[in-house]
Amino acid sequence: MNESIPAITANNVVKHYGGSASPVVALKNISLEIRDNEFFTLLGPSGCGKTTLLRLIAGFEQVTDGKIMLFDDEIANLEPSQRPVNTVFQHYALFPHMTVAQNVAFGLERLKKPRSEIETTVNEVLTLVKMKHLADRSPNQLSGGQQQRVALARALAPSPKVLLLDEPLSALDLKLRQAMREELKQLQRETGITFVFVTHDQEEALSMSDRIAVMSEGEVQQIGRPTDIYEHPVNRFVADFIGDTNFLDGEIMSIDDDLVTCRVGTQSMFEAENSGGHKVGDQVSLFLRPEKITLSPQSETIGTDTRPGKVANIIYLGNQAAYTVDIGGGIELIAQARPREDGNLPFAIGDSLAVGFSARALRVLAQ
Amino acid sequence: MTVHINKPATGNKAKRILPVGHYRGLGAWTVFFFIFLYLPIVVLIFYSFNANRMVMNWGGFGIDWYIKAFQNDDIQKAVWNSLIVATVATVFATAIATIGALVLARGGNFRGKTVSLGLITLPLMVPEIVTAVAVLIFFSAIGMNWGLGNVIIAHITFCIPFAFMPIRARLEGMDTSLEQAARDLYASEWETFRFVTAPLLMPGIVAGSMLSFVISMDDFIITLMVGGAGSTTLPVYIYSMIRRGLTPEINAVSTVLLFFSVAIVTAYWIVSNKSQTKTVH
Amino acid sequence: MSNWLPRSAAGRRWLGLAPSYFVIGIFMLVPMVIMGVFSFLEPNPYGGVKPIGSLDAYVKLFFEYDLEDNLVFNPGYINIIFRSFQLSLGATLLCLIFGFPVAYFITLQPANRRNFYIYLVTIPFWTNLLIRTFAWIIILGRGGVIETPLLAMGIIEDSLRMMYTDGAIAIGLTYSYLPLMVLPIYASLEKLDFRLLEAASDLYANRFEVMTKVVIPLCKPGIIAGCLLVFIPCLGAFIAPNLLGGGKKLMLGSLVQFQFASARNWPFGAALSMLLLSAVVITLIFYARAAKKRAVLEGSA
Ligand SMILES: Nc1ncnc2c1ncn2[C@@H]1O[C@H](COP(=O)(O)OP(=O)(O)O)[C@@H](O)[C@H]1O
Ligand SMILES: [Mg+2]
Repeated sequence: MNESIPAITANNVVKHYGGSASPVVALKNISLEIRDNEFFTLLGPSGCGKTTLLRLIAGFEQVTDGKIMLFDDEIANLEPSQRPVNTVFQHYALFPHMTVAQNVAFGLERLKKPRSEIETTVNEVLTLVKMKHLADRSPNQLSGGQQQRVALARALAPSPKVLLLDEPLSALDLKLRQAMREELKQLQRETGITFVFVTHDQEEALSMSDRIAVMSEGEVQQIGRPTDIYEHPVNRFVADFIGDTNFLDGEIMSIDDDLVTCRVGTQSMFEAENSGGHKVGDQVSLFLRPEKITLSPQSETIGTDTRPGKVANIIYLGNQAAYTVDIGGGIELIAQARPREDGNLPFAIGDSLAVGFSARALRVLAQ
Repeated sequence: MTVHINKPATGNKAKRILPVGHYRGLGAWTVFFFIFLYLPIVVLIFYSFNANRMVMNWGGFGIDWYIKAFQNDDIQKAVWNSLIVATVATVFATAIATIGALVLARGGNFRGKTVSLGLITLPLMVPEIVTAVAVLIFFSAIGMNWGLGNVIIAHITFCIPFAFMPIRARLEGMDTSLEQAARDLYASEWETFRFVTAPLLMPGIVAGSMLSFVISMDDFIITLMVGGAGSTTLPVYIYSMIRRGLTPEINAVSTVLLFFSVAIVTAYWIVSNKSQTKTVH
Repeated sequence: MSNWLPRSAAGRRWLGLAPSYFVIGIFMLVPMVIMGVFSFLEPNPYGGVKPIGSLDAYVKLFFEYDLEDNLVFNPGYINIIFRSFQLSLGATLLCLIFGFPVAYFITLQPANRRNFYIYLVTIPFWTNLLIRTFAWIIILGRGGVIETPLLAMGIIEDSLRMMYTDGAIAIGLTYSYLPLMVLPIYASLEKLDFRLLEAASDLYANRFEVMTKVVIPLCKPGIIAGCLLVFIPCLGAFIAPNLLGGGKKLMLGSLVQFQFASARNWPFGAALSMLLLSAVVITLIFYARAAKKRAVLEGSA
């Protein structure tokens, strides 16, 4: 495929459910481009319209307004069966009256492929998802993970141009989910098929995607690579939804080339990176990732900005602990610390310590 | 941000794509279906108001045939017979079905459960005419000739499954933890049944008895074969009227019977729908 | 109260089931056995039987005695039995064609409206069959609801003679048992996961294939149940063939009744009933087999 033509283009897509009298607005105004061969993720909380967008692409729903194009072709008039797009359904939707192999062959049969080709392809795809040995089982004799693989094989078998995956991992348990992430990513690289992956799990999105669209209430908040989204969220929603975050609400006191100085609370002053577009007097939120904060015994100073603090609370998580630290002025920060070699935590509740972070780690967001 | 609601979307709505699983013409087919289903009923009612002596020659509107039917002694007798048979059969069938359903739905798994279920629903499986023949032969073989009593016994037999099914459905839809909770709160077995199971089961019992009443009132072939000269029920009488020649009097009697059945079934429907919503909330 | 009840769970169970066993056993099972016995006895010309063993009732199904008292093949009764099966199958098929789309349509409706549609489907079923079939005489008959306007408009010149035909019986049978087709199909369609239809169309199945490859196979149990519920009572039907067939176009059910009401050949009537009963039992066994096979295939067993 021509690299410059997007696999999917959505222009000002609006979707309402129900009558026009009191519609449920599922998508407000979505515009995005999904490139060919990329692993693209729609990320957002439940109810934000991810499934709706996927169903519009697959053809199960019709847009209320706007346009969706597949490789520059208008697809509004095509039935789902006429679109070179396949879906891995949220709860798999495997045909219970067919065996695994029959499920996988279904699409190829509808495309009237020759019998020999169908057999070869079914074998190949089942091998790819490591399900060949269960080809003659019925779907309801399979575990959740196995069903998920069959659903994947079934959607991949007809070699679609685009594969749509609606929270395919959400029904699996944690360990399996993590293993499947890698497999999915690898599968996408090997087949070169464009994946449109829907999830509400930010970890999943960050670990697998080439690009992510963060959605909220029927709108796209930000589109970018995982690092962009994580490090440079464009607004408070994105910053809050992706990862753990400290927000410090305050007012800009002064601005120079590199740095913005803010007053948080009544007296505490913080310096943050100047991302431009702010002016003195703006009410803003400063955002600071917990892992950018260093906790150390009181004597040492680390980072450009070091303040004294006191441990207010600890949540032990095994490989690390989340510390709530009171740094005075009514401000509490969440920070992380690893247990020491002997397994004990470095600080206890009530300990005084030094809290260090760099001004580069603080970002200014509109409130 | 502007949302365009009424603007037709970018000019490609010319061919509206039906959602998956929808088919054109289903609605029209369904309308046709209901016309077919209700046409005879409408026709029947319509012609019952025919003033003419001949059913099919419309002679203007009149309720003469209703008056005539109500004054007909034979019809009155048949109505009484029908009511007696249906009432007695319903009482017995419902009682028998209720304890049967309690055992089958609350008695756990035991040997002979499937067989018992099969036996109770047997009258549903066997064609009516076969039941009629078998019962007729049986009564004659043992020389039992109780007139209306024979008819009542036959009716109790085939009404049992109709009373049984809604009661069992209700029991199986009931949350057993309610009964366990009662036992946990020191209720004896009898108290649990009296204060928890029975009140919750009541809609099922009402529904079951309504169904068996309607089924008994409507039965024709079994009554025709089993019943003797003195035990003519309303449907059997209507049959003999039809054989004698068609008059609007048949329509009038039929219409009354029809409304009676519809009223009971509607009541049943309301009771069972209500109990459903109650269980949901 | 509970002190006079049997202590053991088993004792209570059987006490609770005893009335059902008693009534249905004595007044349904035992009579069917006696009916079987009667079919092997000689008829009493005044009704009832003579206690003499005889296979005549079954012989009569195929043969008759000619004037010289020789047994000759008589296809008359076989034809009636064959017609009964034919008409029952025809009516079952009509019910399926007519009822399936309606059951499907109801499934597509919003949940609160579905119940009302089902109510509408069941209402005629609970009203008296005799009355409803009688109404068809008014509709189909000479000078009836269909003919009169056609005659008046000059579209037809003579009566269509719709009454007393196989077609009239088929319509009557279809009409009688239509709800019994719609209800089980609806029950199985209601459980159908509509995402499977989307999955099929996503995998390039057109609308026709969505129906034939997914919907119909998955609601097969409902379709089979519906067909049985229609076919079995059709086989033994009495009212439709009698009122709409005019007693000339006999079916098994009316033939049986005739043996008791007029012909006074009880053993023959009993033999015909046994035949009917075996047909039902065989059908049900096939059904149970098929259901079991399916359960094994789909791994839900
Ligand atoms: N068929 C429907 N009818 C009415 N409202 C719907 C329908 N499907 C989804 N919605 C609504 O649209 C919004 C978006 O839903 P969805 O796309 O399923 O969100 P997500 O997949 O992100 O959880 C929700 O508010 C949901 O309630
Ligand atoms: Mg969703």
